[in-house]
Amino acid sequence: MIKIKNLHKYFGELEVLKGINLEIEESEVVCLIGSSGSGKSTLLRCINFLETKTEGEIFIDGERVTKKEINRIRQKVGMVFQRFNLFPHMTVLQNVIEGPITVKKMPPKEAERIGLELLDKVNLSDKANEYPAMLSGGQQQRVAIARSLAMEPKVILFDEPTSALDPELVGEVLGVMKDLAKEGRTMVIVTHEMGFAREVADRIVFIHEGLIAEEGSPEEIFETPQHERLKSFLGQIIG
Amino acid sequence: MEFLKQLAASAAAFFSTVIEFAPKFLPGVQLTLELAFFSILFGMIIGLFVTMMKLSRFKFLRKCMNIYIAIIRGTPLLLQLYFIFYGLPSIGLMINSFPSAVIGLALHNGAYISEIFRGAIESIDYGQGEAARSLGMTKWQATRRVILPQAFKRSVPALGNQFIIAVKDSSLASVITITETMLLARQFGAATFNVFPIYFTAGVYYLIITMGLTKILARIELNLKINER
Ligand SMILES: Nc1ncnc2c1ncn2[C@@H]1O[C@H](COP(=O)(O)OP(=O)(O)O)[C@@H](O)[C@H]1O
Ligand SMILES: [Mg+2]
Repeated sequence: MIKIKNLHKYFGELEVLKGINLEIEESEVVCLIGSSGSGKSTLLRCINFLETKTEGEIFIDGERVTKKEINRIRQKVGMVFQRFNLFPHMTVLQNVIEGPITVKKMPPKEAERIGLELLDKVNLSDKANEYPAMLSGGQQQRVAIARSLAMEPKVILFDEPTSALDPELVGEVLGVMKDLAKEGRTMVIVTHEMGFAREVADRIVFIHEGLIAEEGSPEEIFETPQHERLKSFLGQIIG
Repeated sequence: MEFLKQLAASAAAFFSTVIEFAPKFLPGVQLTLELAFFSILFGMIIGLFVTMMKLSRFKFLRKCMNIYIAIIRGTPLLLQLYFIFYGLPSIGLMINSFPSAVIGLALHNGAYISEIFRGAIESIDYGQGEAARSLGMTKWQATRRVILPQAFKRSVPALGNQFIIAVKDSSLASVITITETMLLARQFGAATFNVFPIYFTAGVYYLIITMGLTKILARIELNLKINER
């Protein structure tokens, strides 16, 4: 589904990604872990062309991602941000149907029907006509997930989707994400929620200083970590 | 006691002059309102147009708009009006005084309004554009559907300020023979040698206009705020 070959990314002189090779299969759930500043966000953003890669190749659904094709290919890749980034001037339902209507030119009636279904799926049908400002962080993030689902993406990228949330709101968002994983959605998730990663991930990728330092099944990563950095990282985060 | 009597007498004279001249100002006030209305209307159109041009991907267009803004912001409005009304005829371009004033004031307001829009657009969180783009929107779709509606809302207070400046700046049209409020005040003052009550009256008219405008703008702002946190 996603194939990343020798991806390098520089910000000026700073080399943030130093040759990433990663393949993600259909229906696979991959969690990216690693300390702050290791390049996890940059990797996700390169997949979605929010950052332009310096070197390397990215294939999505068999297609090479190029600047010219980006708007079309982006429809296949959903993105959920740490800070939700809902559109504050639109209601919850309008947020969800904005993509289908503007990008896919779907008739509003049909988009609304799909939008309400999706809101039901994230348990927010009763908030359809509220504005995002009226919602809690957890509710906003669930709307953001529904918004990205509305484009029927082949893969969804999550960049620390629960990091901006109060602890008591984390569960509701992770719950929705677990449901998506069970449906067989392809997901790439940057997260510090190790319990969640262990439960839903098919594979865990540890990124260290712009490189994949170690990857494996949750058992391998958590039970028998090899890399010294991974051991100390897990030690810090699990405590 | 003598002093108080004198004070009462001059107050009476003051108010009788005010009452005598207040209605005589009305044609000028009407011109002030017309100048303000057209210069704001066309100023908004120019401002929006310039903003669009500055968002275009053609560097040449963006450069042109920057030059326009630099000229308007970098020279006095007085000079701009003189230039249009007295300067252009020497290259064969004759424009009547009222259209000259509207063109000058609108070009002036347009530059400032486009800067207001630019500031508002730049103040919108970067994540908004990214969220829009990640849904597959083109840059133009993201701008039109997500950035501009928010930026427009955010620019309302500064626009209101600019509208009030536009009302006051319309008084400069008096230098190109338009008998709006300010020129009338000068004429009445010269005729009666009694400038104090006359300038007072003119000031009251400006205050009524700008305070009325402030009220309307406050109401618009309130309506726009309803859904914000
Ligand atoms: N737009 C940018 N310009 C310059 N440096 C950046 C930019 N974005 C990220 N970086 C740098 O790249 C490195 C990796 O950042 P990031 O991918 O956000 O890490 P992570 O998500 O793993 O915490 C950091 O050192 C960060 O300062
Ligand atoms: Mg990050």
